[in-house]
Amino acid sequence: MTSTDSLSAAPKRGLKLGFGLRDAGTLIGLLVIVGVFAALSPNFLTERNLINILQQSSINACVALGMTLVIISGGIDLSVGPTAAIAAVAAAAMMVGGTPIVVAIPAAILFGMAAGAVNGALVAYGGLQPFIVTLGTLSLYRASALIYTGGNPIFGIPPEFRALFNGDILGLPTPVVIVAALALVVWVVLNKTPLGEYFLAVGGNEEASHIAGVPVGMTKIAAYVISGGLASIAGLILVGRLGAADPTLGNLWELDAIAAAAIGGASLMGGKGSVVGTILGAIILGSLRNGLTLLNVQAFYQLLATGLIILVAMLIDRATRGRG
Amino acid sequence: MITSSAQRLTLEGIGKTFGTLRALDGVSMSVARGSVHGLLGENGAGKSTLLRILSGVMEPSGGTVAVDGVRVTGHGPLAARRAGIAMIHQELQHVPELTVAQNMFLGRSVRMAGGLLVDRQAQERAARAALAPLDASIDPSAPIRTLKVAQRQIVEIARALMEDAKIIAMDEPTSSLTPAEFDRLAVLIRDLSANGVSIIYVSHKMDEVFRVCDTATILRDGRKVADVSMAETTEGEVVSRMVGRELAHAEHKGFATDEVVLDVENLSRGTAVRGASFKLRRGEVLGISGLVGAGRTELLRLVAGVDRPDGGSIRIEGKPLRLGNPRTAIRAGLGLLPEERKRDGIVARRPIRSNIALSSMRRFSRAGFVRRNALHAESLKLMQDMNLRPLDVERPIGQFSGGNQQKAIIGRWIAAGARILLFDEPTRGIDVGAKAEIYALIERLAAEGRSVVVVSSELPEILRVSDRVLVMREGAIAGILERDAISEEAIVALAVPQSARSAPFSSRPGQ
Repeated sequence: MTSTDSLSAAPKRGLKLGFGLRDAGTLIGLLVIVGVFAALSPNFLTERNLINILQQSSINACVALGMTLVIISGGIDLSVGPTAAIAAVAAAAMMVGGTPIVVAIPAAILFGMAAGAVNGALVAYGGLQPFIVTLGTLSLYRASALIYTGGNPIFGIPPEFRALFNGDILGLPTPVVIVAALALVVWVVLNKTPLGEYFLAVGGNEEASHIAGVPVGMTKIAAYVISGGLASIAGLILVGRLGAADPTLGNLWELDAIAAAAIGGASLMGGKGSVVGTILGAIILGSLRNGLTLLNVQAFYQLLATGLIILVAMLIDRATRGRG
Repeated sequence: MITSSAQRLTLEGIGKTFGTLRALDGVSMSVARGSVHGLLGENGAGKSTLLRILSGVMEPSGGTVAVDGVRVTGHGPLAARRAGIAMIHQELQHVPELTVAQNMFLGRSVRMAGGLLVDRQAQERAARAALAPLDASIDPSAPIRTLKVAQRQIVEIARALMEDAKIIAMDEPTSSLTPAEFDRLAVLIRDLSANGVSIIYVSHKMDEVFRVCDTATILRDGRKVADVSMAETTEGEVVSRMVGRELAHAEHKGFATDEVVLDVENLSRGTAVRGASFKLRRGEVLGISGLVGAGRTELLRLVAGVDRPDGGSIRIEGKPLRLGNPRTAIRAGLGLLPEERKRDGIVARRPIRSNIALSSMRRFSRAGFVRRNALHAESLKLMQDMNLRPLDVERPIGQFSGGNQQKAIIGRWIAAGARILLFDEPTRGIDVGAKAEIYALIERLAAEGRSVVVVSSELPEILRVSDRVLVMREGAIAGILERDAISEEAIVALAVPQSARSAPFSSRPGQ
């Protein structure tokens, strides 16, 4: 941020790099978890494993980015998993049918964005609550994917497509680089564009935003469209990794995404949230699973730990925030 | 009556510090039995803190509270209630779906069947008995959401009396009452005091304070500046003690031209607004008066495009306006300052700069990006112009005082280039000093060639700022008074429906 003459009169509040106090708290949480696992398992703090964690967190992070915008604008998107499945199935079917990859990928993402647009339109103009709308479309979209495929995974994904998501860029797995780039874009949207201001304003006070002339309906739709698009990209990444498009792909993704956003400081009441926080939140969840697996902890206990971490994170958040 | 002590409530050296901030500093005051005692001061003077300490919600850093000469010991709201101190909050705290009786017995329900079941009939009988002397028309079995604010206040008072309250503190009790309802409250307060209950009355409205109170304590910056007897002082003296200086006594200056900028014709919505037509000229300040519920707020919302009218038309500078869309209204030069600032005006958590820029993001962005430096610079300049403190563009607007929030929303419309400003109760809930600044601001906006519509329930305010006064009655425009014809009597005559002429407008002459 450059400083102009008139600006210098205004007191500066810390470094305004979009990295707030709350994000520092999330980072400390991550470091504590990493520290604990590093002490317990010699294999945890290796370059190979850290890259692994990023890789394992990338899909959730991608979904959670969109979820963060929806939550900030005062909504919730429970349909992200089935949206991803629709995009995955659509891309796979197109590619198996001979459609070039460069067409199939954007077309699949457009499918996901259309699914988001339906969510957004129902919320903005149908007068329904976001939870109910996306609970409905959760079933609707999943059913669409299942009906279209007859419930069977689509195999025969072209190797070029798989190669796209299995390579390395500068020593990092491609999915990690893709999601990092997307995070940067979402961060810019939230912090540097009018749309970002609108997300925060509409989620913070919808009626005041309406009176102030904010295009409330379009703002909400934009959040769901972005969420649908990002969920689709997450779905495509998974198809690339697995080499098949399963219509049941993305089951319970919405919960992980909400958890990452909430750990990162998003308020389910709307008006508050952080891209940096959400990414850190996704990495916290990824580290936890990775670390517990390294320690040979049973899956049931992993679930237990995940639940506890979410609650503890929220309690710390509440306690350190103070009142009002 | 066991005790004959004249002092019902005695506060001794009450202090409260938050970190380094001294909210209250050695405040002592006493309230006689059966007296109505005003607690006066600007926002931030320490009234709320003192009330919170009194009601046990907050613990003082020092000092003592005594009721009938007995020191209140123990902490928390329960201890205060046991000592006989009851609080009527400004925002009444009820569970809307529960009945009147259930709300009155919330947290201490009458039990039967060995404590397993709530005895609703016994509760309703007790509630009816407690309500009867105050307002027998309130049905204890009705859901409380069906009651008007004035009635809900009476429910609170009845509840306090049921708990044998000796002192009832009322925080801004009239902020959403009609003048007739205030009249009834004033009578009720008198009855209570005749029965030996002492009242602590907090209000910004000087006319009410002078009508209701016997004595008052004036606070400024956390310190007591004076104890006064209302019979021996004047409004001007009280206000200057609250503010610590004489308020500028500006004469009304008119800037109205002949050019019509807003032409509203036959605007209607349901029964709330019926066939409203009026014109507004460049540089004019048009006051809109009328009783609560006369359709003033609804009319402003229709003009601002927030609600969609059933019929009618609006022309802005001669051009017809598409109705029912705030965005087109804003683009045409309109801006609405809503009555409920928290609910409809501010986005509390966002920095004040974002709140100021919210309606002009298009102007503050280029190639899809927010021009942050321009936004900062202009916000800062607007804040300086309006004497908005503290001068920190990044601070969340929720942390500013009510008056400063109001200025920020006005700044939002200046930034958006609004030429017609619609102000709904612009000084509601803000202190005397900030009020004067808002009046000066309205005058300045008019002098700059903007036009302002001011809806207000306070007649002195209407008289102070208006070039003309439009009076609404039951959704329709009862009449428009030209400057020479404006008087309280004329406004009241137009505002009060024929059927209710017996309930007069209550207001003392302004200043």
